[in-house]
Amino acid sequence: MRLFLKILRLSFRRQLTYRTATLAGLVTNLFFGVLRASVLIALFNAQPSVNGLTVKGAVTFAGLTQGVIAYLSIFGWWDIMQSIEKGSIGADLLKPMNFFTYWLAQDIGRAAAQFVTRGLVLMIAFGFLFQITLPASPAQWLAFAFALILSGLVSFAWRFIINLAAFWSPNAIGFGRFAFSLTWIFSGFAMPLRLFPDWFQQFCAFTPFPAMINTVIEIFLGTLTPPETLQALLLQAAWFVGLSILSQFILKAGIRRLVIQGG
Amino acid sequence: MLRRLFTTYLKFIQIQILSQIQYPFSFLFDVFTNGISLLIFFLSLSLVLQRFDNVGGWRLGEIAFLWGTAEIAFGLMDMIFSGFDPDSFSVMVRQGTLDQMLLRPANITIQIFGSRFILRRLGRIAEGLIIFTISQVLSPIVWTLPRLLFYPVVIFSQILFFGGLFIAGSTITFWTIERIEAVNILTYGGNEMISYPMHIYPDWLIKFFTYLIPLIFINYYPALFFLGKPDPFGMPAFAPFLAPLAGLGVFLASLWFWKFGLRYYQGTGS
Amino acid sequence: MNAIIKVEHLSKTFEITQSQKGWSGALRGLIKPLKKKIAAVKEVSFELKPGELVGYLGPNGAGKSTTLKMLTGLLVPTSGVVQVNGLVPWRDRTKYVASIGAVFGQRTTLWWDLPVQESFDLIQYMYRIPDKRYRHNMDLFRDILGLDPFINTPVRSLSLGQRMRADLCAALLHDPKLLFLDEPTIGLDVVAKDKIRQFIKHVNEERKTTIILTTHDLQDVEKLCERVIIIDHGQLLFDGTLEALNNRFGGQRTLQVDFAETYPDVSIEGAGLISHEGLQATYQFDRDILSASDLISRLSNRYKISDLSVREPAIEDTIRRIYVDKLLEN
Repeated sequence: MRLFLKILRLSFRRQLTYRTATLAGLVTNLFFGVLRASVLIALFNAQPSVNGLTVKGAVTFAGLTQGVIAYLSIFGWWDIMQSIEKGSIGADLLKPMNFFTYWLAQDIGRAAAQFVTRGLVLMIAFGFLFQITLPASPAQWLAFAFALILSGLVSFAWRFIINLAAFWSPNAIGFGRFAFSLTWIFSGFAMPLRLFPDWFQQFCAFTPFPAMINTVIEIFLGTLTPPETLQALLLQAAWFVGLSILSQFILKAGIRRLVIQGG
Repeated sequence: MLRRLFTTYLKFIQIQILSQIQYPFSFLFDVFTNGISLLIFFLSLSLVLQRFDNVGGWRLGEIAFLWGTAEIAFGLMDMIFSGFDPDSFSVMVRQGTLDQMLLRPANITIQIFGSRFILRRLGRIAEGLIIFTISQVLSPIVWTLPRLLFYPVVIFSQILFFGGLFIAGSTITFWTIERIEAVNILTYGGNEMISYPMHIYPDWLIKFFTYLIPLIFINYYPALFFLGKPDPFGMPAFAPFLAPLAGLGVFLASLWFWKFGLRYYQGTGS
Repeated sequence: MNAIIKVEHLSKTFEITQSQKGWSGALRGLIKPLKKKIAAVKEVSFELKPGELVGYLGPNGAGKSTTLKMLTGLLVPTSGVVQVNGLVPWRDRTKYVASIGAVFGQRTTLWWDLPVQESFDLIQYMYRIPDKRYRHNMDLFRDILGLDPFINTPVRSLSLGQRMRADLCAALLHDPKLLFLDEPTIGLDVVAKDKIRQFIKHVNEERKTTIILTTHDLQDVEKLCERVIIIDHGQLLFDGTLEALNNRFGGQRTLQVDFAETYPDVSIEGAGLISHEGLQATYQFDRDILSASDLISRLSNRYKISDLSVREPAIEDTIRRIYVDKLLEN
């Protein structure tokens, strides 16, 4: 555990050193946020509410999703893939630490830093540009915090699995891009899931994707009742556990393949 | 002279293409995923539009026309101007690849054009064509002769416009060395912006992209002409036909800036 | 003979942007960057005659690569004159680079995805090399560089030594009068280094190609260069023959002696004793004060000697002393 925290801290601090890049990323995220909010406002076009979502909520959605782009590495994260391709995976596997937790520690550190520098700052800036909704009660804030942390964990487990594809194919990045793009639609990143047709939402509910983004948004906007909130949080935790276990099986198979082929 | 430039370019491009299709299966898969991952955003909008009816008064078919046109042009641009993609260009400068090119007796701009030709962008072009087809099913355009002739001009203008921005963005890295993500606002952001009718954006944004950067003229105004829609901003009647002017203007200005940047690079180095 | 390279009072000053501390610094850096002037090359002058092979030396950051960039036309100097083959390198770049050859050891001029032979064909096209000339050179280089085993291999799959050989060939196909070599042996093993050196020597002697060589490997210098130019902190420190360099700055020679019997004290006047262990002792002496034979006769008068060897000061030591001790700074 001490080692875990140490790696986490190092990764956090490393992230804070990329200041100019952070600033530029922030500006870009904000700009796209304004575009997406404009589209949503134009969609609602004077209707006060559609399927439980108000314009104000939809605009808040735009800000939130732009804010978590960096935190969840939504557009791609290839660190493990690169370490497999470069062959430094061997050294990683020799570290006195479980491979999964080693990368998890790094990712939490990175995510925490980007949550502050790109998420929080972006939301504040968004609040100045548009009218947004905020959680109404301390309990809702707390639930939001839990959902956010869990979304980071589920997203990590999913990204971890995607990256393992490199064990099987030297061109795994193509597959990876495809896998990431699934996240954009099914997690409710592109558009709030609530606005999709019912059949589509029902389908998504069987996948881990809503646990990555949609749950966070629903809780932040207050569209869930307290029991529903609790259920959603438990579902997130279950997906994290499930994907983590699955990832271990895939990792074992991948390592076996690496050993047989002599890497 | 010009012919030699052109054959040099073709020779370079040929190398690029052959090496990319060396593994046909993985290449085709790349093209497919490239297209699908972009199509997803249009699919999201069309599904969501079942609960609404329009975006700022424009129906799905009309949006699809904007969207498809923008994607076809951007995909073509992204393929032809791959060498000037600011992200990869900054790496070229840092790793000294640009210096290696300067040591060869051939036009440097042509060499950069020939240094990269990302064929995978065919996926984006295909995506654009699919969306364009959808637009013609949902809201067919009456293709009169002027419209038929003007459409390729619009595509060409957009290629010049964004290609120019790529060149300008790359030129900036002579000063900054690191890539400048803010340039993405104009390129990828601009592409996203023109995929929707421009009147849905905040006033200050529209003004900026009309008078400072003439983004509004390369897709929105031509679309008004193709779809026969009224102009909400009350511009002169020739506004839809300013697209080639805007494209060529940005491209030539960027080319001038590029020459200036190259002189700066050789005067100061890195 | 006329000089092939003429460099007069060459200077280059860079303006660099400094990164500033903290978040406010990053913000300020975007708006008003902090600039600082650095003189990379200061008033450097030298001339090269056709057919010379000159080592251009200096520690990292001395201004070597800046000079090289100016000589190859990649950079325009702040002031001064450069004339190569009667041309000004940075004016009419394409014409100039067609007349020179350059190999930068760290990176390749070849096309990463192309087989070596196809890269060469492309070079023939770019440099407009007549077919006959091209075939003649190609045959010659294939033979002496031993390119055949990997001529159809893509450049990306070559070993470093193979790649360097291919790069050397590529740089010479158009018969340049002048060749710039930047660290041509970097990262190579002993055998590969030797091959490259032999080839460089061959090109210089047989084809009378003028060569400027920068390197950190002083074995390159010892084996190849008659003349060296040393630069540090942007200033020319030394320009002359290797021998002159050794005579002026070469440290002391050493004499190693194996005695036939053990002696408690083996010190001798005129030479310093640096080590004495068992039967073996090492002395250091200055060539200006004492010749090797004098020292040996002095020793053999006093002790029984079974074996001895004299070692000249190594060029490494000389150069190191120049860099570190600033021997040449007044």
